[in-house]
Amino acid sequence: MLSRIAESLFWLARYIERAEYTARILDVNFHTVLEQTKDRYRLHWDPLIVMAGEEERFRKSYGEADAQAVFEFLAFRQDNPSSIVQCITKARENARTIRDYISREMWEDINSLYFTVNRFNPTEEMAAGPHRFCDAIRFGSHRFHGVTDATLPHDEGWEFLRIGWFIERAEMTARLVDVQYHILYDAPAGISGADNHQWMAVLKSVGAYEAYHRKYHSSIEPEKVAEMLIMHALHPRSIRFSMTEVQSGLRAISGTGPGSYANEAERLTGKVLERLRYDKITEIFQLGLHSYLDEMLQMCGSIGEDIARSYFYYAVVA
Amino acid sequence: MPLQGLFGDYQTGSFYDEMFAAPDQPRPHYAKIFEKLASMMPAQFEERRQHADLAFLLQGITFTVYSDGRGTERLFPFDLIPRIIPKSEWQRIESGLAQRVMALNLFLQDVYGKQRIFADRKIPRSLVYSCKHFLREVIGIEVPRGIHTHICGIDLIRDSKTGEYCVLEDNVRTPSGISYVLENRLVMMRTFPDAFQAHEVLPVNHYPAELSRILRSLSPRGGDDAQIVLLTPGIYNSAYFEHSFLAQQMGIELVEGRDLIVDGGIVYMKTIRGLQRVDVIYRRVDDDFLDSLTFRPDSVLGVPGLMGAYRAGNVALANAVGNGVADDKAIYAYVPAFIRYYLGEDPILRSVDTYLCSKKDDLNYVLSHLPELVVKAVGESGGYGMLMGPTADRERLEEFGRRIKADPRNYIAQPVLPLSRVPSYDPALGTIAGRHVDLRPYCLYDGEKVTIVPGGLTRVALQQGSLVVNSSQGGGSKDTWVLFGED
Repeated sequence: MLSRIAESLFWLARYIERAEYTARILDVNFHTVLEQTKDRYRLHWDPLIVMAGEEERFRKSYGEADAQAVFEFLAFRQDNPSSIVQCITKARENARTIRDYISREMWEDINSLYFTVNRFNPTEEMAAGPHRFCDAIRFGSHRFHGVTDATLPHDEGWEFLRIGWFIERAEMTARLVDVQYHILYDAPAGISGADNHQWMAVLKSVGAYEAYHRKYHSSIEPEKVAEMLIMHALHPRSIRFSMTEVQSGLRAISGTGPGSYANEAERLTGKVLERLRYDKITEIFQLGLHSYLDEMLQMCGSIGEDIARSYFYYAVVA
Repeated sequence: MPLQGLFGDYQTGSFYDEMFAAPDQPRPHYAKIFEKLASMMPAQFEERRQHADLAFLLQGITFTVYSDGRGTERLFPFDLIPRIIPKSEWQRIESGLAQRVMALNLFLQDVYGKQRIFADRKIPRSLVYSCKHFLREVIGIEVPRGIHTHICGIDLIRDSKTGEYCVLEDNVRTPSGISYVLENRLVMMRTFPDAFQAHEVLPVNHYPAELSRILRSLSPRGGDDAQIVLLTPGIYNSAYFEHSFLAQQMGIELVEGRDLIVDGGIVYMKTIRGLQRVDVIYRRVDDDFLDSLTFRPDSVLGVPGLMGAYRAGNVALANAVGNGVADDKAIYAYVPAFIRYYLGEDPILRSVDTYLCSKKDDLNYVLSHLPELVVKAVGESGGYGMLMGPTADRERLEEFGRRIKADPRNYIAQPVLPLSRVPSYDPALGTIAGRHVDLRPYCLYDGEKVTIVPGGLTRVALQQGSLVVNSSQGGGSKDTWVLFGED
């Protein structure tokens, strides 16, 4: 398989996942805030901007974060490279450069998602609230997963998609947990139960609310939420689950068995997974959740770089 | 039978109308489709049209217009009323095109090889050597199986009086449009299944398989595991859709110049498993951009060193390099002579009368008849560098007269040809009206025989009175049906 195609598949998946994740977080937070007091308001919107890694750009355009501003910025802005519209546009661009490789149905699907997203009128949607828009993105992403799974041979190209999907998801989940803790722990004590709502929102945004109750049979506790999102073995949005998928994708491509590695990306993935399997959430909190997640994010970054080194780039030979 | 419904007050005008022999008298091969359309409510037709447009949009069968700075994608308009060619008419076209392709191939073999034709004085050497696209760099290169013209998209138009098919251009470099032929048929079958049921229409979808077979046969290493790639300039090229479509249909790799590298005279592609040898390149990059070491040094679309590998016979290119000489409009005038010289046959298809300004008598005729003629620069295509005599003002006529005198070799002239018309839907009027068309069949040559998928691309000038069929200027296309019989 051409290196360029592998790279485009990887990014195609990452952009779709980023768009979906952003839509989920936007939607859930918007609805949680409807039941909040004014002084807690800021606590909802600031984390979203920090998570997107676009705080500076946001402040320059809007100053204060509020529902309208955050929605517009994360969903529609052309000058925010992580906005949903931009992600879908870039996903389609990547698909376009490899449309001979992907199935016709995949192309038609991503193309129709692109047209759908561009048909939304930002002014109207901002008046109506983000639900309709975010729903369209979520369904679009799910449909694309489904079409891909059902029409693309599960060969190495499919593995590059899988790696892209899950490394993006691992990073987004790590950022989500990190940012929420950071802000909530620094915040003054609010009305009793308000934190609870915020954590419920976090769980709902990754679709893990029901799974949480099934596992813990308890009220919402921050440590347990973190444990669930970081180290749950089988929830498809946990970091551990995501990194397991990345590992199996990498191994399928290189043909490496368990216990060894073919490149730096595989070595680091193995290392991350060791920790996710054997660390306890209490240990992590003792060490400091932020530095733990930060390290995880850095390792994900290094994994991405080494995938590029191993499979995408050719050194120029003089 | 009076015309009604969608046909409104249809006028055939003074043109050759392909559907109607007389104002209310459809030709036999159009009779069924005429009845079908005449019995449709305009709203019904409009609904089917919107379905078809949506299908094209979803598949991204668009071209990009950059005039607004953002790059807007537009549909290449598709007209739902098919153009129909009965079998006997098609057979004549087919044999005429096959003859022409064989002669052009022999000409290219000859001018880049033994050059017998100069010795036999059938065409002046100076005329060939002065062609903009004649490449001395490829003289003496023996191309695989002697094939230069693997794919030709020969443009045909019909005489406005007799309906006779004439060749307008040969297009033996990298003709595009075949993907529209295949996609138009697919969409048409979905939109108008009932119309197909009433006719026996010859299929077109074997094109990719036939092209793939020919490309495979060119591999210098032989064998079935030849690595074949399609080289595209990339997603910003207006024909990118076609490149990806054909690569997918043939199951070959779609590559850009940056995916390839030449090492030790061998072409490789960069894969996730290291370098992999490439045997055959169906290139959709122009000659000038193929290899920055041989041609334009500023090209980033090609592969440095590619010509070395080609010369050494380590990689095959389709079409061959240097074919542009046969597309020169001055050379066009000699194609009937090539057919007689190389094949010993009379041309089956007529060429358009052409005056070469490099000949003294022709030059004098052209200069004294400018208002009746179309003047074309020989090395240009796509309507550039052209003068339409009848519609030009005095100033422009004088300007062209000066240009021709200053550089007669660079110009040819032809009589103005009003193209034939086929009924087409005009969304602005909500009715069907006559619109001018041409026809581009796609000819594949495997070294022994020429295969042509029945029909080809019918391009239609959708604006009233317009003769310009180019997509950038309001042109569209139609599905083209070749019938199994006469009606």
